[in-house]
Amino acid sequence: MLGKLSWQAIPFDQPIPLFAALIVIATVIAVLVVVLVKGWLPYLWREWITSVDHKRIGVMYTLLAMVMLLRGAIDAVMMRSQQTFAFRAPGYLPPEHYDQVFSAHGAIMIFFVGMPFVIGLANFVVPLQLGVRDVAFPTLNSVGFWLTATGALLVNLSLIVGEFARTGWLPFPPLSETTYSPGVGVDYYLWSLEISGVGTLVAGINLVTTILKVRAPGMTYMRMPMFCWTVLASNLLIIAAFPILTATLAMLLLDRYLGFHFFTNEAGGNMMMFMNLIWAWGHPEVYILVLPAFGIFSEVVSTFSGKPLFGYRSMVMATMAICLISFMVWLHHFFTMGAGGDVNAIFGIMSSVIAVPTGVKIYSWLFTMYGGRIRYATPMIWSVAFMITFAIGGLTGVLLAVPPADFVLHNSLFLVAHFHNVIIAAVIFGAFAGYTYWFPKAFGFRLHEGWGRLAAIFWVAGFYVTFVPLYIVGLEGMTRRLQHYDVAAWRPWILIAAAGGVLTAIGIGLQIVQLAVSIRRRDELRDETGDPWDGRSLEWATPSPPPAFNFAVLPNVSGEEPYWGVKQRARDRLKLSEEPEYEAVEMPRNSPTGFVCAFFATLMGFSLIWHIWWLVIAGAVGAYATFVAFAWRDRDEYVIPAETVARIDRANRQAREAALARLRRDQ
Amino acid sequence: MSDAQAHDPSIEEFDTAPGDEHLDGSGVAQGVIGYLVGLVLAALLTVVSFLLPAANLVWPPSIPVALIVLAIAQMGVHLVFFIHITTGPDNTNNVMALAFGVLIVFLVIGGSLWIMSNMNHNMAPMSGTMQMGP
Repeated sequence: MLGKLSWQAIPFDQPIPLFAALIVIATVIAVLVVVLVKGWLPYLWREWITSVDHKRIGVMYTLLAMVMLLRGAIDAVMMRSQQTFAFRAPGYLPPEHYDQVFSAHGAIMIFFVGMPFVIGLANFVVPLQLGVRDVAFPTLNSVGFWLTATGALLVNLSLIVGEFARTGWLPFPPLSETTYSPGVGVDYYLWSLEISGVGTLVAGINLVTTILKVRAPGMTYMRMPMFCWTVLASNLLIIAAFPILTATLAMLLLDRYLGFHFFTNEAGGNMMMFMNLIWAWGHPEVYILVLPAFGIFSEVVSTFSGKPLFGYRSMVMATMAICLISFMVWLHHFFTMGAGGDVNAIFGIMSSVIAVPTGVKIYSWLFTMYGGRIRYATPMIWSVAFMITFAIGGLTGVLLAVPPADFVLHNSLFLVAHFHNVIIAAVIFGAFAGYTYWFPKAFGFRLHEGWGRLAAIFWVAGFYVTFVPLYIVGLEGMTRRLQHYDVAAWRPWILIAAAGGVLTAIGIGLQIVQLAVSIRRRDELRDETGDPWDGRSLEWATPSPPPAFNFAVLPNVSGEEPYWGVKQRARDRLKLSEEPEYEAVEMPRNSPTGFVCAFFATLMGFSLIWHIWWLVIAGAVGAYATFVAFAWRDRDEYVIPAETVARIDRANRQAREAALARLRRDQ
Repeated sequence: MSDAQAHDPSIEEFDTAPGDEHLDGSGVAQGVIGYLVGLVLAALLTVVSFLLPAANLVWPPSIPVALIVLAIAQMGVHLVFFIHITTGPDNTNNVMALAFGVLIVFLVIGGSLWIMSNMNHNMAPMSGTMQMGP
């Protein structure tokens, strides 16, 4: 009846996971009780869970990423503290648990922190920057988000019911085959990534279609803000690369469930093919994460330097060059697997070549700052920290791209330090810069500056104190994923790295304080005009938070930086442009399709992991029925009357008028 | 902002999916004829690729090449008649997407074949008695 599921799946004999599980369950129950008692459920259901508004979905993606960042950070703290105690001692985490911790840390940070963070920011910002009212496929967007949430839920469920993979963040066979990993850990990994992978693909298709087909009148490609270009490149990579991941993991699933031999040792299987395919996805994935972050830095650096982005066209070229070259370098992840010198040389050269367009970008940001009137607000602090830190990470990357050097450094902590150096510096700092930069747009009040700067300083210091020692022990020969060690020379560096972990944890704590303080003092941090940073692109033309329809009248774009042009005209003439004629606006109706689909997908994923076959069938039928019900729906839009549109837009015009009046007084 | 035209009729004309009938409902007959031509061509190519190896018409070693040519022609028929990839001005995105897709498929499949054959070549020869595994 319940397949492999029994009471033995609950880790009663292991205090650490049991305790963690109890805390998670208690928190979830507490949140549910508060929501029910306060009567917030109807509001949440109506305005958020069933919402197809790209802004709401973007906020939910970002929230998911931040919650999962806490989970991944706890894993990181556990690894650092384990290595602190495990010098000539077993430490406090047994090997089978430590292996789950590092596997979960990597998988969560990439799939459930990095991905939802960049997709969430893109979802929120791209339609606003393009000057349109919604994405191309609003309901599909909601489906994509909820499937991603399903994946995250399954990964966290593995904490309580059963176990997670012990195979590293990518489940390399033959270790991940049933012979060596008979438990449900790898199945948890595979099914949560298959389901969330579909969600990511759907989000990618939606954003590419939006950017190619849904733009304001006059918004030609070469007038799009840089962030839209990087999101376009990133989502083209999603469409091209994620099917490879899905297919590769599906082959491993066939091996595990139906006795196929794609990647087994015997019967003609070839596990090297798994490395090849998984990295054919894995390297583009790096750029899927990092390109939108580059876009965020472009927006932030240009806004806070008070100048247009330097070398816009070469930035576009560099972005699209990275989009293509990122598909030609994947072998550098397995130089040591045994390919010949010519193969390694070609991929080594291509890996160095991809540093060129990235270098172009760094220079463009520096020249954007050059001669500008720079304001060091929190997003700008993250950006400068990124440029310095990322340059170091990029250089160690070029070093690792040289095959002979890679043979020495492969799987050492030097490699671990390198990829944390690029991913934390670019993706995490970029996500935080974007979060601080667009927060007032989403919620109508700014985040507190002082706490934000302090958090940034602790994060950056924490990063260096953690990972510079790891570079050094990597050069001294320490390999990654060690549960315990007995080399005395590594000891001091590991202790310093632990101190860095503490600094980063303080940084995260300060960010939570910043959010709490900002919410309590929201009235003094209020953004009245909708343009808190003196921005340049169209999202700042809307009020904060923007109404459901974003723009009362679609903007007519006549050049680069359209909002800056309109604003300069208003400042020169000291008055706003004429009030437009308002028309009624049609918007898509909310739909529970995404949530219901994800509910059935969760049932299906869980029952597939535990071999509960009747529930698999029930879940599949439910998901298909949801799709059919959605397809038969005949009322899919509602109309916002012209008077409502006018009322909302006039309120914002009044706020902007008041700002102009202040400007007139000052002159 | 300014007095933008939200509904430009000329944009509406271009804003149909490839293969859609015109907004006034005309062009259905044309569409059906297109699909029929596609169906006949696709069926023809399929039949030929089955007959060719059996019928002893061409020089035997050239048959694989002929089959590849027929397969690519089949893809072309599908793209033109069913997926509606054309060279029209409103079809640039589709052509670009197709080109990008073909390039990626070429890179991943070609690269994988090259890498894997190189690895096989570099592997120490295994005798039948040296079976690895549990």
